[in-house]
Amino acid sequence: MGMTLIWGVMNVINLSHGPIIALGMFGTFFIFTRTGLNPYVGLIPVAILGLLLGVLIYVVAVHRVINAPHLSSLLATFSVNMIIIGLGTAALTTSPYNVDFAAGSFKLGSVTLLGTRLIAALVAMLFTGGLYLFLYRTRPGKYIRAVANNRAAAELMGIPSTRILALSFGLGTMLAAVSGALIATFFPFSILAGASYELKSFVIGVLGGLGNPIGALFGGLVLGILEGIIPAFMESSWVPVIEFGLFVVILLVRPSGLFGAKR
Amino acid sequence: MALLEVKEITSGYGEVQILWGSSMYLEKGKLTCLVGGNGVGKTTLLRTIMGLLQPWSGTINFDGKDVSKLPAYTKAEMGLVLVPEGRQLFTDMTIYENLEMGASNQRARPKFAHNLERVYEMFPRLKERSAQKAGTLSGGEQQMLAVARGIMADPTILFIDELSLGLAPVLVLALFDSLKQLREQGMTILLVEQNIQLALAISDYGYVIVEGRIELEGEARKLIKDKHIREAYLGL
Repeated sequence: MGMTLIWGVMNVINLSHGPIIALGMFGTFFIFTRTGLNPYVGLIPVAILGLLLGVLIYVVAVHRVINAPHLSSLLATFSVNMIIIGLGTAALTTSPYNVDFAAGSFKLGSVTLLGTRLIAALVAMLFTGGLYLFLYRTRPGKYIRAVANNRAAAELMGIPSTRILALSFGLGTMLAAVSGALIATFFPFSILAGASYELKSFVIGVLGGLGNPIGALFGGLVLGILEGIIPAFMESSWVPVIEFGLFVVILLVRPSGLFGAKR
Repeated sequence: MALLEVKEITSGYGEVQILWGSSMYLEKGKLTCLVGGNGVGKTTLLRTIMGLLQPWSGTINFDGKDVSKLPAYTKAEMGLVLVPEGRQLFTDMTIYENLEMGASNQRARPKFAHNLERVYEMFPRLKERSAQKAGTLSGGEQQMLAVARGIMADPTILFIDELSLGLAPVLVLALFDSLKQLREQGMTILLVEQNIQLALAISDYGYVIVEGRIELEGEARKLIKDKHIREAYLGL
């Protein structure tokens, strides 16, 4: 969702998405192990730090290349990616960590659901709904859409586009950090763990249509279902092959995504 | 003192100089037009006034204050509002949202309901289609929306770039009529037009720009009878 927001709104492919997910994971880890705070309460500081970090990354690395060709912003966010991974490796090593936390489990017929996963799914839906309401019902949200749609015109209407872009990047980063924080409650992770989620974010974003939060949730569901079903028929190493095959097919047939605007 | 004083502006893009010292004065409550052929610097002058382009030299005074160096988004706050060439609507947003975005600045927000009523009265078609996406409108309706969005910003001076471009004559006449209405309501307007005859016909005062310089100025009803203008631009 963070990926699709930044990409759709700012036309920047954010290669620092993965490490920020990882930072979100470590955020939860440290808050949980040091303060003993419930990881779901810990989401709040993680979200706030994510937002601030995003604004910082925007101001330092992205702002000056926002109008430059794609390669420049790719390189800029990739540098941020390398910096975070480098620092993270030095400070935390690449060995796996995990958050020792459980939220019970629920039985649904013959299926057992882990509480942590169920809550993660609920929080994801909550954020999707929240983001949708924010973009379509609030003034700053509408400003983000206006800037995405036509930056020069927004500027003429008195919308400070630089601040709005910084806010979008901050929100995108916040969403990445929160998703990392949620994943950390049920999977072990290391500073490198973000990369595979970053790749998934690409697929999900394109599947759902860039800049569309509902589309991103839908894309995420499709991917989740594929990952659940495919291993029942074939080796699970086929999962990425099929996912990215689907990705290519969608790009060929409906480049604006399943939910994207028709152009 | 004129409401807006543009003095000896030079400007351009990169190394290419477009404006070679253009001066213009807008009187409060008057409809002024800036006319000239294609590529003579009309839009460049407008973009410089709006702060989308920095002047290389010269000054722009609005209401007695120097505003030459201020960025575009602060201009709307002050009451300088541009209806840009090619309309530049938020095509993925609804008509209502476009109007809402027009009223982004602090001055315009409290007047939102009042201005909304005003533009709906002027362009009833927009009211009927308020939930429709702006990108789905016809060219004429889009131009109406662009003007309406400008009015929502509660302008002291409304700048309009190429109102008539690409529109059917009957629509152009209707839009020009709405400009006359706005002037009667006391709005100061600068109309930038290639359709010289029509622009001079509804304006109070006119400037003719040629190759980045103001070549001729005067009361519009005199300009329209000027022999040189009739020969050079109107082909009469």
